[in-house]
Amino acid sequence: MSWKTWSLKKSPWVFHVNVGACNNCDIEIVNLLAPKFDVERFGIKLVGSPRHADALLVTGVGTRQAAIRLREVYRQTSKPCVVFLIGACPCGTGIFSKGYHVVGPVDNIIKEVDPNAIIAYVPGCPPKPEAIISGVVKALSIL
Amino acid sequence: MNQEELNNRLSKIKDKLLAFEQPLDDRIIISCESEKAYALNQFLFEDIRARFVIITGIDADDCFELLYHYSYDQTGCVITIKAIVRDRQQPQVESITPLLPAAEWIERELHDVLGIGFKNHPNLKRLILADDWPEGVYPLRKEVKK
Repeated sequence: MSWKTWSLKKSPWVFHVNVGACNNCDIEIVNLLAPKFDVERFGIKLVGSPRHADALLVTGVGTRQAAIRLREVYRQTSKPCVVFLIGACPCGTGIFSKGYHVVGPVDNIIKEVDPNAIIAYVPGCPPKPEAIISGVVKALSIL
Repeated sequence: MNQEELNNRLSKIKDKLLAFEQPLDDRIIISCESEKAYALNQFLFEDIRARFVIITGIDADDCFELLYHYSYDQTGCVITIKAIVRDRQQPQVESITPLLPAAEWIERELHDVLGIGFKNHPNLKRLILADDWPEGVYPLRKEVKK
């Protein structure tokens, strides 16, 4: 295991990107960071810039306006990085699939930038905080 | 002014309207041609002193409908002006933003998604569509399919 992968798994710093979510998944992410679940005890820390991040937490369906920004955020994230798709919308556009503003699912948007991107899916509307933690653990354990 | 006085005042303008409906005591829907919408809005806002809530835009196949919702808080009555815009090619309505600055954004949104032009709007530029959205495509019109 390279030191880069080791350090990513030891303490993944995450950057939260909302690309058109209804805010429900975002609330669950905030819940993860709050004292009840407190993922910082596993070294998972929310950071304010993609340049500091090892992982992206993407919520939302992937709108036309936000897709450009998401690609730019992915380019700026230091590699290797893991993209976590939180919720039914980024995993498969969910109930918004026929919306005029939707260009998702988000994995397609990310793969336009990097076809070999590491993408983890956590479906649910919204996913439970336990499910998000479980998804993060599973994704990191196969790296 | 109680509900009865409100009904009386509104019934005085009935002859200018296409229809006057009152399905419930506290729900009034008045229909008019779009040319008279501004005057009716002015009447509701300045004379009745009702509170402006929102505008709804509907694509009704042969015409567009603009529903101007007002709340008369003293009695809890909701009054809706249904303005019918018959020209589908170049729908135009007088903007109520000079009268009610609160209507600026909803009129810009209606212009984005339904393509209704608001005359005398001070700032009728794109609000909610993506920057790369093509000009002249109005996503909530019936003929637009994804």
